[in-house]
Amino acid sequence: MKPDQVLETLQTSLQDRLLDSHVVERVVAADGRTHPDLWVNVERSVLRDAIAVLLASFTPHLTVISGDDLAEELLLNYHFTVGWGAQFGELNVTVQTSVPKSDLTMPTITDLIPGALTSEREKHEFFGVTFDGIPDDRNLFLPPDMTIHPWRRDEDSQRETDTMVERLVKWENRDA
Amino acid sequence: MHNERINLDLGESKTCGLTSYSIPVGPTHPALKEPIRFSFDVEGERIVGVDIQPGFAHRGIEYMGMRRNLIQTLYLSERICGICSISHPLTLVQAVEAAAGIEVPPRAQAIRTIIGEVERIHSHLLWAGVGAHELGFDTLLYLTWNVREKVMDLLEQLTGNRVDYAIPIYGGVRRDIPEEKAHLAYEAIDYYNGALQQLIDAFLHDKSVEMRTRNVGVMTYDQAIALCAVGPTTRASGVKKDVRQDWPYFSYADMDLHAITPEDFGTEPIGDVYDNIIVRLLEVAQSVKIIEHCLETMPGGELLSIPKVPALLAALKKAEGEGIGRHEAPRGEVFHYIRLEAGVEEPAVWKVKAPTYSNLMPWVPKFLGDEIADIPIIAASIDPCMCCMDRVHLVDPHGGKDTLQKAQLIKLSREKTRRVCG
Repeated sequence: MKPDQVLETLQTSLQDRLLDSHVVERVVAADGRTHPDLWVNVERSVLRDAIAVLLASFTPHLTVISGDDLAEELLLNYHFTVGWGAQFGELNVTVQTSVPKSDLTMPTITDLIPGALTSEREKHEFFGVTFDGIPDDRNLFLPPDMTIHPWRRDEDSQRETDTMVERLVKWENRDA
Repeated sequence: MHNERINLDLGESKTCGLTSYSIPVGPTHPALKEPIRFSFDVEGERIVGVDIQPGFAHRGIEYMGMRRNLIQTLYLSERICGICSISHPLTLVQAVEAAAGIEVPPRAQAIRTIIGEVERIHSHLLWAGVGAHELGFDTLLYLTWNVREKVMDLLEQLTGNRVDYAIPIYGGVRRDIPEEKAHLAYEAIDYYNGALQQLIDAFLHDKSVEMRTRNVGVMTYDQAIALCAVGPTTRASGVKKDVRQDWPYFSYADMDLHAITPEDFGTEPIGDVYDNIIVRLLEVAQSVKIIEHCLETMPGGELLSIPKVPALLAALKKAEGEGIGRHEAPRGEVFHYIRLEAGVEEPAVWKVKAPTYSNLMPWVPKFLGDEIADIPIIAASIDPCMCCMDRVHLVDPHGGKDTLQKAQLIKLSREKTRRVCG
């Protein structure tokens, strides 16, 4: 799979809602051969469309959704791999989208990709993102009564998490 | 709890009419990377619903990693999992090398590949032994683990440790495989070329194993795709997905590999436990070939592109960027995402995705429609050390209560083996 193929498909459908894209070449063998990674940034409102387009044209595999707290906004990276099945035909496609801290909601993609549920539940508990239409929003890895979002970097969340960690370290009498 | 279940409509629909019971299994066993609690809804012997709760040993590894320098994070990553202990550092180094633009000498790539494949042999054989035990076939467990001992010795001879080998570091590997050690690997290769056929006969041509695993714990091709399954779990359903084949990295970039599915054994993929055994045993044979290939074509040269650790730390501190690392661990794809900021030693973001994370959802279709006595082997079919059957409560909604211990559950499983074998 070539990055241009995927990018063109996304561009045709999303037009100017596709905010940014870049291809990074990685050296993969001693003879200097490289393999590309594709990164695209889309508006939150068209994220579902972007994924629907990928699903219609390719068979993308959702690896995981990662998050990055950038103070005013949260950057969500939807890590896909496209083109598996052919030797060295696979391409990492990361669809990034920004969610403002003032309105931490995302549309769910579990109706498009049922396997995304694990990842969305994880982002819900660790970042406090609400996924509209998610079939199950219980905490997955954290205890059900835990309301702190440990991967958020704003002051309040940091303080709460650090206080909890300090308490646990003291209780276990171990090094953090 | 009961109305909050994952409702996926994956084939079997819930029928009400019979009294339905809820059976919690788990949560924890000290041998597990991720202790898990299952909540089964059963009607008679049949499983009609399942809820899965992981997270009982969530240690906040990513949180800890984001507060340590990258070398400390590398050591931490090795301790994420004790069975595939090299898979996480192998993935993390790739992510950091991509983010910081660090090159890796070809000899180091070959050594990374060899250790990764040696580990696959031990992990798959460990899994096969556990599977045999869950079926009540302990003779096969002892045979399999006896065969596995050879590869554990090899790991110890090559790296100094039987787990946590501490081999990869950013820009290369920490230890060489010199000529005088290479013959130990060749000995192991000869041994496995012989022992493997014996194991394949014992597992795949055995009537009782077949009766307990054929059409048990089935996941179809479409379900595997929809639920984002990885590793042998997805390949057993016929999905030809294997990072070593799909994406060039390490010495795999110079090899001609293909993803192993039950078709390589001459059977149509069904996606049941038997197909899982086929895939894992054939992958052991594949790993033996890869190790042999790497030893024969081992390039010379340096082991590290930045040999001094202080220089490496300084280079990492200056680095800025984001990177992805991927590796086909024995259980499936490991994925790491990292973002580095210039001027700080800690990673700004570190996201780890282990294979079991992707294989949580596929458990649901595998369990539905099967029997209570099949719970141990279906649970084990995905995760090699999934023996967390600490206790099972049979709870009568009308107030009656009974408790099943792990021993009783295994007894049920063994009774079924005897029953089906007449």
